[in-house]
Amino acid sequence: MPDLLNTSLTGMLAFQRALEITGHNISNANTPGYSRQVAEFTTRVGGGSGRNYVGGGTQISTIKRIYDNLLVEQLRTSATGQARFSALNNLAGRVDSLLADADTGLNTGLQNFFNTMQDVSNNPAEIPTRQALLGEADGLANRFRSLDQRLDTLESEVNDRLTLAVDEINRIAADIAETNDQIAIAGVGALPNDLLDRRDALVLELSGLVSVSTIMQDDGAMNVFVGSGQSLVLGANVQRFGTQASEFDPTRVSVVYEGSSGTTPLDTSLSGGTLGGLLEFRSRVLDPSRQSLGQTAVAFVNRFNAQHAAGMDLRGNLGGDFFAIDPPRVLYSSNNTGSGTVTAAIDDLGAFTGADYVLEFDGAAYSLSRADTGQNVALTGSGTAADPFLADGISIEVGGAAAAGDRMMIRGGHNAAGTIETVITDPRAIALAAPTRAQASIANIGDATISPARVADSTDPALLASSVIEFTSATSYTINGAGNFTYTDGDPIVINGSSVTINGTPAVGDQFTIEANYGASGDNSNGLLLTDIQSVGVLDGGAIGIGESYAQLVASVGGTAHQIQAGLDAQNVIYTNAEDAVLSKSGVNLDEEAANLIRFQQAYQAAAQVVNVTKTLFDSLLAATSR
Amino acid sequence: MNGLQAMQRLQTALDYTQRQISSGRRILNPSDDPIGSSRSLELRESISRLQQFDRNSTIVGSRLGQEESALSAVNNVLQRVRVLALQANNATQSNESRGLIAIEMREQLGNLVQLANQQDGNGSYLFAGNRGDTQPVSRTGSTFTYNGDQGQRFIQIGEGREIADSDSGAAVFFQIRNGNGTFSALPDPGNTGTGVVGAGSLVDPTLYDRGQYTVRFIDPDNYEVLDALGATVATASYQSGDTLAFSGIEFSLSGNPDTGDEFIVAPSRNQDVFSTIDRLAAAIGTATSSEATRAAMTNEINAGLLNLDQALGNILDTRTQVGSRLAAVEDQIDSNGSFVLTMQSALAEIQDLDYAEAISRLTAEVTTLEAAQKSFIRTQQLTLFNYF
Repeated sequence: MPDLLNTSLTGMLAFQRALEITGHNISNANTPGYSRQVAEFTTRVGGGSGRNYVGGGTQISTIKRIYDNLLVEQLRTSATGQARFSALNNLAGRVDSLLADADTGLNTGLQNFFNTMQDVSNNPAEIPTRQALLGEADGLANRFRSLDQRLDTLESEVNDRLTLAVDEINRIAADIAETNDQIAIAGVGALPNDLLDRRDALVLELSGLVSVSTIMQDDGAMNVFVGSGQSLVLGANVQRFGTQASEFDPTRVSVVYEGSSGTTPLDTSLSGGTLGGLLEFRSRVLDPSRQSLGQTAVAFVNRFNAQHAAGMDLRGNLGGDFFAIDPPRVLYSSNNTGSGTVTAAIDDLGAFTGADYVLEFDGAAYSLSRADTGQNVALTGSGTAADPFLADGISIEVGGAAAAGDRMMIRGGHNAAGTIETVITDPRAIALAAPTRAQASIANIGDATISPARVADSTDPALLASSVIEFTSATSYTINGAGNFTYTDGDPIVINGSSVTINGTPAVGDQFTIEANYGASGDNSNGLLLTDIQSVGVLDGGAIGIGESYAQLVASVGGTAHQIQAGLDAQNVIYTNAEDAVLSKSGVNLDEEAANLIRFQQAYQAAAQVVNVTKTLFDSLLAATSR
Repeated sequence: MNGLQAMQRLQTALDYTQRQISSGRRILNPSDDPIGSSRSLELRESISRLQQFDRNSTIVGSRLGQEESALSAVNNVLQRVRVLALQANNATQSNESRGLIAIEMREQLGNLVQLANQQDGNGSYLFAGNRGDTQPVSRTGSTFTYNGDQGQRFIQIGEGREIADSDSGAAVFFQIRNGNGTFSALPDPGNTGTGVVGAGSLVDPTLYDRGQYTVRFIDPDNYEVLDALGATVATASYQSGDTLAFSGIEFSLSGNPDTGDEFIVAPSRNQDVFSTIDRLAAAIGTATSSEATRAAMTNEINAGLLNLDQALGNILDTRTQVGSRLAAVEDQIDSNGSFVLTMQSALAEIQDLDYAEAISRLTAEVTTLEAAQKSFIRTQQLTLFNYF
């Protein structure tokens, strides 16, 4: 009975293989990305014996990898989303707590500064109080600077992490290409399950770094694409990602694709994964925060300096700059071929946004667009020193010879907060008094009164000159003995940049004097106006105050961080679900393997028993014929 | 795997609740409640501003208090001077006794100058306007000069509410109308008769043109009224005690003016209170020897008393203003205080933790975590291999 022996041997062989597979499954129960393997038995077709066919035993036709491509795709997508939100959440959360913290945020600094400003206005002649104001001013400038520095540190961290992520992507891409190669070699007959698992694990790891799409090829190789269709892996070939300094800012890392036809910047086309999350954090949280902080800083310094210049200090000088801040920074594209130069300055705080702009020369004319949205911004003026371009509250002066296609970036507020400094060091130089005063002559007979002098134009060169308004009748007056002006009760009279109003009925010969406000150590008129800066609107056409502008930044970052946190929570659930789905399909269940172990062991024993039966049959036959 | 993640999430939630409880704050990061946290920033700013306004109010209050006590002392001096002038005006006084009165009056004048040059605790002159370093009143002979300015310092005591913490010396001591506040009627220094000007008043403001008029006696019983250009406005006969009325004003005249005696009516102009007292003292201190010089002295004292009353009225006005400013400061302190309370409770509502809720949440989270841990251990032990 040789057939029976053969048949039982096929069984023993098959069950031994099945036990090996079970052992493999058990050994890999904790291997990430491992897909459970199952032996598929088929019957061997036997030979004919007259009218009937007798089976020829069993065989393992395939070792099946329990795997659902759809579930694995879902897992990759959710890994991409989860990694993106995780990177975003980590960084945005730090900006969030940085801005709102009472110790690091701006509110306390602004509040202390303006409170001291009020103290100084209460005691304008007191040097110690003035000294305290300088201290608070330093503290406030410091807060602005340190906030910007902390944001700058985050920027460097993003740079470092981008470089690391790109290295990681290149490493994984190389591994995938190598695995593709091995699969192509090994996969001539049956599919090499463990290599497929390894490749899936690599692609999943890659998905955590950047959003990818994959296409299977006939030879079992997998092609991987990123961004807007750039190929990362084609069969056994790899295209590399790289980093380089961005076009305008050499300190900023930009991700590029090093294709066969040169490098392509990818900053705007990459999404998802850690890399996408980092880029998104930079464009969605970091840049707007720095711009908004800079906008607040620029508005505060310019408004405060302008008001300070309209006052008189204890020494009788007009107020100088109190704070200093850099003008909008101009960065030149690394691709420029011309020698054009651009200088920018703040023109109108009400229209100033703090955003980044790109100025482009097309060979004949300049055009301006927002760097973030690409939206065109209308330019007025001709770009010369006398008639600069004006756009969004910035004045732009161009010089030199720009070549066609040259681009410059104008950063409204990006670095501004980091450049604030207190310029005043002498407490006596704080200009708290009004520059001029209006006095009624004691000898006046009429009952007309004059208001305190207000500054109408602090740049008037004759601001500090004395002038006398003398009435020649109840309805007319001369200025310094000249002219004949009509007097209307309560109408403002502007002389040499000072504005006064006279009320009541003057008598002939009544005199009012406007003169430099020397020696008025107790005057706090300008101090009150400086204090008002805390509550008056400056930005957005005068609708938004300094503190308000910062509160908006805090609210906006808080809102974004909140949204990101919610997104991360959702992505965590989606990812866990996708992982569960893959595990429940492909994961190793030890109970099932234990059952298989018993089953195949028993089957093996049974097959071995058949061999024994064969031997007994054969022995019986020998015994029957030995006589 | 999944059970582990669930336990990690619970651990995070537990940690968050624990941080809430230990800090007492509901919002740990602005992202927890972006609207609430930006609202709380605004509230904190408002509270801090209001507290600053409180400090400002206290300063205004103490400065106004200082001014009030200085003005009260000024008032006492002026009242004393007034009493002295009335005493001196009494016909029973001899030249000697008037001389003593004049001496006391000069002492009072010295006091008054000192009061006007009073300094506050920081060495700034109270009545120098904004020129706090400059001594406001100086004297050269019988001329008193104001060296300060007419500025008035304002201090913010509430949102959009500023209040003056001082009055300039010009307004308090120098810008005082002489005569009755509208016009003054004074005898010409060259008069030889005994005509004494009495009280005058404005009868019809529409007729009064603020011009200068001269009442001249054509003879002891008749006078004419001339305007500034010398044209005759009116002529009338005179008896001692008559009231002279023309151009919407009137004043009484008594005694017997000589022919050619003149009385000048001029619109009121500013005369500082120091000069008023100085002239009074000079008039009182001058010995009288005849009816005519006595009449001149009486005229001077009458005029001085009128000016003194104007000065007293001015001090009273200023004190009233200071008083109403003090009341306004008190009001503002009260209303600021109640605003702060309202805002603090609004802030507490936004940022403070509801402990009852947080602690029950903590208990629930601890229970859930313990249950998850126990069930995790139990399910991990379930495997078929246990039965091999």
